[in-house]
Amino acid sequence: MLSSFRAARGDAILGLLLSAVAFAAYALTFPELTGRVVDDAGILDPATKAALERKLAEFETKTTGQLVVVTLKSLQGTSIEDYGYQLGRQWQIGQKEKNTGALLIVAPNERKVRIEVGYGLEGTLTDAVSRLIIENSILPRFRANDFAGGIGRGVDDIIQAASVDAEEWKARSKKRPDDEPGLLDILAFVFFLFIFFMIASSISRQGRGHVQTRPGARRGSRGPIIPFPGSWGSSGSSWSGSSWSGSSGGFSGGGGSFGGGGASGSW
Amino acid sequence: MNDIVCILRRIGIGLFAVLAGLLVCGCGINNLPTYDESAKAKWSDVQNQYQRRADLIPNLVETVKGYATQEREVLTQVTEARAKASQIKVDASTVSDPAKFKEYQDAQNALGGALGRLLVTVERYPDLKSNQNFLALQSQLEGTENRIAVARRDYIESVRTYNTELRTFPGVLWASTLYRSYKPMETFTVAEDVTKPPTVKF
Repeated sequence: MLSSFRAARGDAILGLLLSAVAFAAYALTFPELTGRVVDDAGILDPATKAALERKLAEFETKTTGQLVVVTLKSLQGTSIEDYGYQLGRQWQIGQKEKNTGALLIVAPNERKVRIEVGYGLEGTLTDAVSRLIIENSILPRFRANDFAGGIGRGVDDIIQAASVDAEEWKARSKKRPDDEPGLLDILAFVFFLFIFFMIASSISRQGRGHVQTRPGARRGSRGPIIPFPGSWGSSGSSWSGSSWSGSSGGFSGGGGSFGGGGASGSW
Repeated sequence: MNDIVCILRRIGIGLFAVLAGLLVCGCGINNLPTYDESAKAKWSDVQNQYQRRADLIPNLVETVKGYATQEREVLTQVTEARAKASQIKVDASTVSDPAKFKEYQDAQNALGGALGRLLVTVERYPDLKSNQNFLALQSQLEGTENRIAVARRDYIESVRTYNTELRTFPGVLWASTLYRSYKPMETFTVAEDVTKPPTVKF
């Protein structure tokens, strides 16, 4: 028994080491979500940026979908597809539960562009539609070095595509399976406590005294066990839909998630 | 008589110590089932995306056929690989069945390879490349390949969590008592995960 424990410990340590290596390989850094337009690469002038912010805010009030434009200095050696969905998850763009978020990602140094679509928008902003927007609206302008024009036109098209049946996808909520404790967990806990007290009371009867039960009883009533701390922490940002104005501060992701939908292009 | 009571007391105290210890580390009692469910949900995501790819293929083959009549061989390969992959029946229990898992993975890889060859072949047909139907199919296929990559990575990550819990304290205690049916899960091999999905230039 002991040796098998030891073997298990050894495995665990090896596993931890391996996962640390894996994490190091995947460690990407993401720019801070400073607003609806995050111009990390610095290719947009303030006026264009402000105009885009207004458009994006209006889109959100109208459809509750969140669209964010981001330009990147570097893709850090990975593909734009790989970077895109991880950035979307990091920022949690889109309404929680509905996952109605999208990103327009431009990496001028790698000459790559991508429309990253959250789970809930995949039905309207399909891969084919995203590809058409990139090919027809964005790339021709990017090839002429007109980043502001390409992004502006791309945003217009994305908004149009995503708003077509806004009512329909408002009703549709594509829920991701959440790791929340179910009724069964609580029942298991109650059952466990029940058995615990059964044993405790039988022992106290056998022992004729009540001394032993006290520390155990106190321990048992320590309050509910929190099964997995941290699992709620990441989804802490709350959604407050229409209360956001288009002005600078106060913008954050709504808790949406991404699964690799969308399309990419290069110029 | 007194001796027996004394012994009973000692046993009681011992039992208490063990139970109290279990309660204190009882935080782990939910972990295995939770991670198990999460990994299985991720697994069905992977299955869905592979299925989605398989569903796109007949349409793609039909479209390509109309333009590239002399590419029979590649088209047949794709169709056969798809048939083979569809024959393998998988469910939630496949994840803890190494042989079945490998079979499924190999079949899907073979299909991915055949598809990649087909998409390279069509580069030679400008008419086909400008066909709207084909363009739509192609972007769907690329999107699906990307979703497969994401789903697989999510699955690998959640299996890692589950397997680690299964082998470390306190999970190893629960695995050897309450959850004896919980087996380590299979995961996609790393070397193969590194390979990029076929990308197609316009």
